[in-house]
Amino acid sequence: MERSLAVLGLNHKSAPLEVRERLALLSASELAKRIKAEGTTEAAVLSTCNRFEVYFLTPEGDSRQDDRITAWLEQVSGGPISQHAYRYNGEAAVKHLFEVASGLDSLVVGETEILGQVKEAYEAAHAAGMTGKYFNVLFQRALYVGKKVRSETGVAIGQTSVASVSVQLAQTIFGGLQGATALVVGAGSMAETTARHLISQKIMRLTVVNRTWGKARALAAQFLAEAAPWEELPSALERADIVIASTSSDRPVLTTDMIRQAAKARQGRSLFILDIAMPRNVEESAHGIDHVYVYRLEDLESVVADNMKKRGVELSRAREIVTDKSREFSLWEKSLGSGQEASFKHSNVPTPTKAA
Amino acid sequence: MNYEVLFLKGAWAFYSLATAAAFVYLYNKDEKWSRWMFRLVAAGLALHLASFGFGMHYFWKIPDNRYYFPINSFFGALSFLSLATVAVFFVIESRHQLGILGAFVLPWAAIGTGSALIFANPAVEGLVPALQNYWINIHPVILMTSYAAFGNAFGVGVALLIQEHQIKSRKPSELCYRLPSIEELDNLNYRIIVWAFPVLTVGIIMGGIWAYSAWGRFWGWDPKETWALITALVYAGYLHMRFVKGLRGKKAVYVSMVGFACVLFTFLGVNFLSPLHGYLSGGG
Repeated sequence: MERSLAVLGLNHKSAPLEVRERLALLSASELAKRIKAEGTTEAAVLSTCNRFEVYFLTPEGDSRQDDRITAWLEQVSGGPISQHAYRYNGEAAVKHLFEVASGLDSLVVGETEILGQVKEAYEAAHAAGMTGKYFNVLFQRALYVGKKVRSETGVAIGQTSVASVSVQLAQTIFGGLQGATALVVGAGSMAETTARHLISQKIMRLTVVNRTWGKARALAAQFLAEAAPWEELPSALERADIVIASTSSDRPVLTTDMIRQAAKARQGRSLFILDIAMPRNVEESAHGIDHVYVYRLEDLESVVADNMKKRGVELSRAREIVTDKSREFSLWEKSLGSGQEASFKHSNVPTPTKAA
Repeated sequence: MNYEVLFLKGAWAFYSLATAAAFVYLYNKDEKWSRWMFRLVAAGLALHLASFGFGMHYFWKIPDNRYYFPINSFFGALSFLSLATVAVFFVIESRHQLGILGAFVLPWAAIGTGSALIFANPAVEGLVPALQNYWINIHPVILMTSYAAFGNAFGVGVALLIQEHQIKSRKPSELCYRLPSIEELDNLNYRIIVWAFPVLTVGIIMGGIWAYSAWGRFWGWDPKETWALITALVYAGYLHMRFVKGLRGKKAVYVSMVGFACVLFTFLGVNFLSPLHGYLSGGG
């Protein structure tokens, strides 16, 4: 009997968090045992905080296994999942796995963590004795496609929010941000989001300055950062590598003179200032000072717009690769039955056997 | 058949291809080209080493030349200098994986080997008695190694100026995200120079010692000596600015670039002025 790949899954788009959370708690080995009991010889479970997917080989056109796995999952997770799940068969299932591995199905498109998670899912299945020739080749191809998409297209490079673009620009100045000190002047939701993004990069130190001491304290407490009184702004500026200016002042609070003083004290270390306030908080002529880079909200927004435009192109290039490679995989799958196994072209994984 | 020239031609071809691959990588984001650049450089380096080996073999057929390095001709010197440049690049590249630097360093290697093949005479000549001395294996070799390192620092400096310009423009292109950060480039530039500067200084002092044993004086204000000293002083100025004044970034890079201009002038220009170091132009 011909067998083909099937996937049963839930992800951040199809299912609410609590459903995914219930499934994430399931023990993988328990699951593997169960699937094995279904008579499936090859299967793997991909379980991350954003998705839960079961890949398995099933007789073509037979959905009984699928139904039984769904029923069992509902039983052990204690809730309905059927209406949140998606199912693909054959080439569509292969394509889905390749998309997932490429990060095209991720919440943050192009993120690389998923590639490692796919690899772990395969390794776990392999260790449980749940992989054969089909899954060995399938997952090697998935990892290959995931790498190929990331190295040949720019899906991951163009960030599309002001906060993430700010972080990326800071990285082009300082490299890793682990040793960096950030300073938030003022408050505001965009300043907070940007600060959070910086914290996620494990910056060394964050200081909050506000005209109102209580506000500075409150915001600092939120970030587990330190607060400094308004009078200490000039000295805080000297210590900071990245400054987020976001006060509601209608006159510039960071004057060119003040920044020049700070730049002098910094002895040539770069100073990256994000002026996300409306009206501006930073005097425009400060950008002319050596080693000082002032990015205004409109500069950041135009980078975002550029990236959005480029991302569309990169995404369609990535999808092309995925479609192309899943078709190639189907050809290989068909060739298995014919006795003359096809080989993959342009592949950097060892071909299963040489083509005749 | 002259295998030294043949292999050098091969090395030149590979360096040129590697340079091309480096430029392709600079403009499309495909890592594949960076890997190709590295492979091509490795192949070029292997051929270049073979070429240098044959060069030595031919050179030592003249008994008086044994066992000195074949760097008494413009051909030999350029070949060795490019070899050292690629070798230093290879070390930096394998430690830092900054494939993008290839575009700024490899052109020098391609130009160096190319000029040796086009403009210089590969014919083997006997060493003049004054140069039949073990010092020829020490003094110029050390100096050229430092020149090669300075060449790499120059490439890093060019990358830094481009990156700085990108960020200052407020309209960073994709290149901006591909280049290493300003701080990384600044540090790398500094680290290469801090390593190359003592090598340069030792090379100059070795020259002095050789001069003392050959001519009875340590220093004679020969143009080559003068310019080597100027080069050393410029780089010392750079290090002083970094160490003592903490000056970094664009301005520091400008100083290091003046230093590299001095290196080029010391290596190429001065040969036509110097009575004592004119060996490269056939004098001396």
